[in-house]
Amino acid sequence: MGFIVYLAWVSVAVFVFMVAYRALKYASMPLSLRWELYPMPGEPPGGGSYMEEVDYYKKPVHHNRIAGLLEMGAEVFYLKKVKEHNKFGIWPFSMCMHWGIYLLFLWVLLLLVEGIFGLDVILPVTNIIGKIAFVIGAFGSLGLILKRAGVRKLSLYTAPEDYFNLLFLFAIFITGIISWSGDPSFTLSRAYIKEVITLEAAPVPLPNIVIINFILVELFLIYMPFCKLIHWLAKYFTIDKIIWDDAFKVKDSPQDKKVLKQLGYICNWAGPHLVPGKTWLDEAQIVDGGGNN
Amino acid sequence: MGKKDITFNDMAQLNDEPLLSLRVEELMRVPDLGVEPPIQPPPEKWRANYDFSLDGHAAVGVPKPKNEEEKARLVRGFLSGLGKLFDPQNNWTFLKILKLTTDYCMRCQTCSEACHVFEASGQQEIYRPTFRSEILRRLYKRFYTPGGRLLKSFVGANVDLNYKTVIRLLESAYRCNICRRCVQVCPMGIDNALITRELRKLFHQEMGIGPVPVFQKGTRNQLKTGSSTGMIPAGFKETIEFIEDDIGDRTGKKIKIPLDKKGADILLLHNAGEYLSWPENPGAFAVLFDAAGINYTLSSEHIGYDGVNYGLFGDDVEAARIALKHLMVAKQLGVRKVVVGECGHATKCYCVITDRIFPGDLSMSELPRESCLPLFWEIVKSGVVKLDPSRNNFPTTLHDSCNIVRLMGIVKPQRNVTRAISSKFREMTPNGAHNYCCGGGSGFAIMNDFNFAQWRKKVSERVKAKQILEAFKDCLDPGTEKYVIAACSNCKGAMRDIIGHYKLWDKYRITYGGLVELIVNAMVDLPKPFLEMEFIGSE
Ligand code: SF4
Ligand code: SF4
Repeated sequence: MGFIVYLAWVSVAVFVFMVAYRALKYASMPLSLRWELYPMPGEPPGGGSYMEEVDYYKKPVHHNRIAGLLEMGAEVFYLKKVKEHNKFGIWPFSMCMHWGIYLLFLWVLLLLVEGIFGLDVILPVTNIIGKIAFVIGAFGSLGLILKRAGVRKLSLYTAPEDYFNLLFLFAIFITGIISWSGDPSFTLSRAYIKEVITLEAAPVPLPNIVIINFILVELFLIYMPFCKLIHWLAKYFTIDKIIWDDAFKVKDSPQDKKVLKQLGYICNWAGPHLVPGKTWLDEAQIVDGGGNN
Repeated sequence: MGKKDITFNDMAQLNDEPLLSLRVEELMRVPDLGVEPPIQPPPEKWRANYDFSLDGHAAVGVPKPKNEEEKARLVRGFLSGLGKLFDPQNNWTFLKILKLTTDYCMRCQTCSEACHVFEASGQQEIYRPTFRSEILRRLYKRFYTPGGRLLKSFVGANVDLNYKTVIRLLESAYRCNICRRCVQVCPMGIDNALITRELRKLFHQEMGIGPVPVFQKGTRNQLKTGSSTGMIPAGFKETIEFIEDDIGDRTGKKIKIPLDKKGADILLLHNAGEYLSWPENPGAFAVLFDAAGINYTLSSEHIGYDGVNYGLFGDDVEAARIALKHLMVAKQLGVRKVVVGECGHATKCYCVITDRIFPGDLSMSELPRESCLPLFWEIVKSGVVKLDPSRNNFPTTLHDSCNIVRLMGIVKPQRNVTRAISSKFREMTPNGAHNYCCGGGSGFAIMNDFNFAQWRKKVSERVKAKQILEAFKDCLDPGTEKYVIAACSNCKGAMRDIIGHYKLWDKYRITYGGLVELIVNAMVDLPKPFLEMEFIGSE
């Protein structure tokens, strides 16, 4: 017991804290100008926004949250845009890897549920999910490594960090497969989870491969918020908060107040047509270029 | 250099040899174009003094630095601007989008084929939507993030930076139309178009470098004289008189175009390019609005008569200055709302971008801004103006301005109108929010310095040429005149280029024009057609 049990709790704590921190960081960035992209979810495929109507500002603006969720769902669970537009054939590998990750976390969650609530009835489902997760995850991550390394147009853009991330995932899945091959019904994995839940040593010593597999999962949880792999969170901001943010501004609304505050920021650009040190509001009122241009 | 083996560090190559030499044979093939003139290299006298080392073309035309100090100044300016792009006070306008785009591109290249520039060029690597973004991203990491400083090449923070990288990146920022078609297909919502715009902003807001027609002769000129065309208020009033006479000649109607009418319902903002290049467009607005009884006015105030705002193409401060002036003109006139004429970027500027630049009484809720297209449909639908589609008895197709369809979602009104007034309308493919840019977007249509027009005609406008020919493939016979509708001033500039360069009028009798001219052409009470089916090129 000891280190490997505490690492489990620490990894969850770091993950939750860092995800919250990152979300807060993005949410508290200055309100950017409107930069939406059409069609919005629920609008006809060819487009058709509220601005198609005369006096649109007098009419209720309808946002279709359900359509938005469905569209997000299609991206998260089916990687729809990659499937439809990617010409490098990465979709099958990317799908496998993503589903490998989703199922891996579901597997761990089910192991925890089993352990906490003694729900042995879900055991066969848990086992199947774990096995599928390891196999497709290993296939997907290895496939992506080979694709990236083998296609010049992809490798040019791929930094060692990207290979490292994929290798990290591959290591999780492959150790999972090895661990499963020596423990076909995940009895030892359950023993480890029990240790984590009860903070009591398992009755039998756990094989190294089981421990390594879980340590890798835990390190991954710690590492993820520090690298690009947290893109699922970023996507909420790029898509929901920018591309789908089409509402117009109303006087005295919280947005309006933010804009007023931001116009008080100092604009320190050094172009000859600017007067450095002025606020944005002052700068916007200079018509002659500040006499510098 | 072959297109296959280029790397990011080639951008730092110190020689003057272009990284890419474009050849017509390698460009995307367009059926029915016939034999094209070859791509000419820049003349030696230009090459001796200016930098052409990206692709043998120059949009900006940076003079070659004369000494080490000038080279160092370029690098210093770039790095200083790069820092400001990521600073919340200096770049509150776009920081959030920029930061997310910088941090989370998965380099999956799903966006590549959506780009008309990349496709038209024969998939040249330097035009891939992610190419310039990746360089900016890596330079930012290298110079401004602890991870980049610490882990260097492990995180890709190892792109060389010298004055050549700076100049090539600058030129590269003018090889993308900022049409955002690539963003539409990105699974992450990553915005390579915004990176282009931010790069342009860095160069102009920090270093004062950008294409002369967009900034010195564009925004600066507009702020000084009142118009990016250099037209002063007195000149504008004379032009209006000329248009009134022209309306009389074309329609037999005596129409007084309202100027500076306080308390009018609508302030109509036209792109001043219309007055000079296509005066029949504001003329047609006047005829239609007069017939429909619209209570509107134009402004003859300094800046008030030129609705363009080229700050949108890469300078937030200039954009804010011009926008403020326009909105103040509207406030002083006491109009109920601003309607933007057939100009895509101005429409997006006033309906979307300026929404969050100014607070309080300039908010959209207090001073609403709209596109003219829904109003056209309202007029046509109401039946107040009698229209006969058989008067437009020739094939038409509709080019969508990216600003209107993809960036504002206005797709149906212009189609409803076109179907009601044109008996032989056919769509281009793709169209609507998924259209292709005309190739003149984000300032390209007005950028004619050095040999940039050659690049634009051969590369960025190429896909649109293909789409037009495909739309009319069943009636290419020169015995039938055909009309491309482009309800945007900038797009019309591109249509003029395409039709002129590829000789589409000479070979196939294809011409172009606005939507409102076509509406007026369908008015039953006009004694003769309003439209003259002809083509006047710019060359
Ligand atoms: S911009 Fe989007 S589609 Fe293009 S490489 Fe990056 S993540 Fe992929
Ligand atoms: S914005 Fe348009 S021109 Fe620019 S890279 Fe994307 S698709 Fe290409």
